[in-house]
Amino acid sequence: MAGFSELIKNFGKTRDYVRDFFIYGCKVRSDFDRKSVRTYGDEKRRVESWMGDFMRYDDSLRGRSVSISVDSGHIHENPLYSAYYSKSFTDNDIRLHFLITDILHDGQSMTLKEIVDLLNNDYAQLFDEQTVRNKLKEYTEEGIISSEKQGKTLYYSLSKDCTESFVKKFKGLDDALRFFSETRTFGIIGNSILKAAGLKNDLFYIKHNYMIHTLEDILLPEILSAMEEKRYLALRTFSEKRRRSPETADSENQVVPMQLLVSVQTGRRYLAAYIPELKRFSAFRLDYMKDAKMGGIYEDYDALHETFLKNMSHVFGVSFGMRRFTGTVTPMKITFFADVEKEPYIIERLEREKRCCTLEKTGERLYTLTADVFDPNEIMHWAKTFIGRIVGIEGGADSIRERFYSDIVRMNRMYGGDDDEHIQ
Amino acid sequence: MNIFSEIYGTYFRIAAKLLGNEVTDEKTVRETVQREGFRDSVLFLPQKLIPGSEDWGLFTRTPEGKLRRITKNAPVKVLTKLQKMWLKAKLSDPRIRLFMNSDTLSQLDERLSDVRPLYTKEQFRITDRFSDGDDFLSEDYIRNFRTALDAVKTRKIVFAEFTSGHGNHISGKFVLLKMEYSPKNGRFRVYCYLLRNDRIKSSGIINIGRLTKIVDTGRTFRTPVSVDDYFSSRKCSEPAVIRVTPQRNGVERFMLEFASYEKHTVRDLESGEYTVELWYDQFDETELLIRLLSFGPVIEIMGPPGLREQARQRIKRQAELLAEQREEDGHAR
Repeated sequence: MAGFSELIKNFGKTRDYVRDFFIYGCKVRSDFDRKSVRTYGDEKRRVESWMGDFMRYDDSLRGRSVSISVDSGHIHENPLYSAYYSKSFTDNDIRLHFLITDILHDGQSMTLKEIVDLLNNDYAQLFDEQTVRNKLKEYTEEGIISSEKQGKTLYYSLSKDCTESFVKKFKGLDDALRFFSETRTFGIIGNSILKAAGLKNDLFYIKHNYMIHTLEDILLPEILSAMEEKRYLALRTFSEKRRRSPETADSENQVVPMQLLVSVQTGRRYLAAYIPELKRFSAFRLDYMKDAKMGGIYEDYDALHETFLKNMSHVFGVSFGMRRFTGTVTPMKITFFADVEKEPYIIERLEREKRCCTLEKTGERLYTLTADVFDPNEIMHWAKTFIGRIVGIEGGADSIRERFYSDIVRMNRMYGGDDDEHIQ
Repeated sequence: MNIFSEIYGTYFRIAAKLLGNEVTDEKTVRETVQREGFRDSVLFLPQKLIPGSEDWGLFTRTPEGKLRRITKNAPVKVLTKLQKMWLKAKLSDPRIRLFMNSDTLSQLDERLSDVRPLYTKEQFRITDRFSDGDDFLSEDYIRNFRTALDAVKTRKIVFAEFTSGHGNHISGKFVLLKMEYSPKNGRFRVYCYLLRNDRIKSSGIINIGRLTKIVDTGRTFRTPVSVDDYFSSRKCSEPAVIRVTPQRNGVERFMLEFASYEKHTVRDLESGEYTVELWYDQFDETELLIRLLSFGPVIEIMGPPGLREQARQRIKRQAELLAEQREEDGHAR
């Protein structure tokens, strides 16, 4: 494997592989037909290096399959953070990093020329002014270095916020970092602070931890900036079909981003956005998103956002359905059986999980949930967690009710029950 | 400004650690790389640090064969703008109050006054979190949380009183092992052992929100406790075995939803079906069961027999309920 490097340039490619190893868990080399042998070997080796004991290998007639098996509710640190810590760089990058921060170590301000001279004279390192200027500019944007103009000359100094002393100064911040470094949305940034301060999380576990989400965080800064600046966003997405057929092209969508929708139960995250071309809202899965690029200002953003929020009160999960407004389909009513004396926890469950629906007692041990939502189909995945208690379903769409009835017939047959002609 | 940047990278971090000492040696370089690097870093990184044909020039060799850094001082790691923006965003998260008091938070806010938050909470919406999560702003809750967290850190024995999920009043002495946060429930829990006569009697989990009292007894639990043993004691004796069919994109949906479980998967090439073994906490069996049922006929619980039987009974009852409804509908017509 000549030429292998632990470091990566292209985060997108790595995201793609890790997802396949992580989600599917039993693919062999030949399943990755959209990639070259060399790429597969290199990506696999990197993932093995990051995941260590969490890698699992199974031999079959088709070859050796590679998967990631981890009880992510019982780990102190998301091993996929390593992907972020693997960015490649040049020799000049690392040399200049340590030399410039060393030169500015005492807090003094210096000009570009003074820094270049010191590099040459005190460290015997020859760098042209342009290279050093570029690095200083980059580090100023990163907030590592501050620049200040005195007259016509720029003076550079090192930021005064040393990570270690900053964390120590604010009592409790260390434990907050330990916790937040493993939570959703940029936990990786918290982890980078912990590491810089020489700390580790050894206190907290996260249940239902979808650690693969961290790889989608790479897209978020651009999306969040587009929301804040009320701009269009150009999305490049692919579908599940594309994973099976490499010929299928990516889709491009010009959208106006509204909000990020996070499911803590299904492992999916979406961007809810308005598609001007179709004049409707839709939700795009982040794990099917290749990249996102900000565009021009969307003039009517505030009014659009207000409409979006109104619409969201009729969304059970993330689907806006195919209708523009609710009211064109009868609200769905699902009636559940529960004995308040013996099973108060069932009513508690309904109350806490009903989201935008309403719940009322409609009879002796009967509770009816009313859902006036764009896409009643979304409710059924959740409603099936109450299998054994659903007394009746009314409204919604005929197809949804029929599918539920036929599902129960199939399940009953599957688990050895009798066919019941009444519910065919 | 991007978190995918070499300045946060493992190689930079290892180099910074080694540059912390004026003089080091090859052995220390290799050991540090082995300990702090990726699995294969020892094959690639030492030659970049040790003077030779490929090195970065961060060290020179002394006459004694040691390695002297070319810098004058130990490297300073400063907080970047991105890290400050993240911290600023966390200031709006009510959970930060569990760790820091109001005065400290005000000071931190003041220190970050010229930083804009990386995101606002309005930019995100959790679609399916339960509505009865913990009240992170309650003074009692914060006090109980801190006592529990302190006990986790110090292994101090605590006396605690709480009401269990089944409504039973429980009190006793506990040793607390780890804190757990559930994003789905919006709740903190603590893994614990109940003590009787200073010996471990049983394992359990206490919801911080259910605590009515928790006090440090001032005594430390000195018996070594293995968190792995704790989890092993709660783990199912047999994994759930699930047949997942490709209908309705079932494989992708199932694999993603259950991605957080330890599992083993086998694929049947002809049918495209997957057989998945899932290991779970036996005390979460009902939760697992209802999540599995929510997939409908797309999956089938093959075992263990107890879990399959629970599914069978619920489905049978459901089929009967629907038959009754159809019958009533028939009569009504």
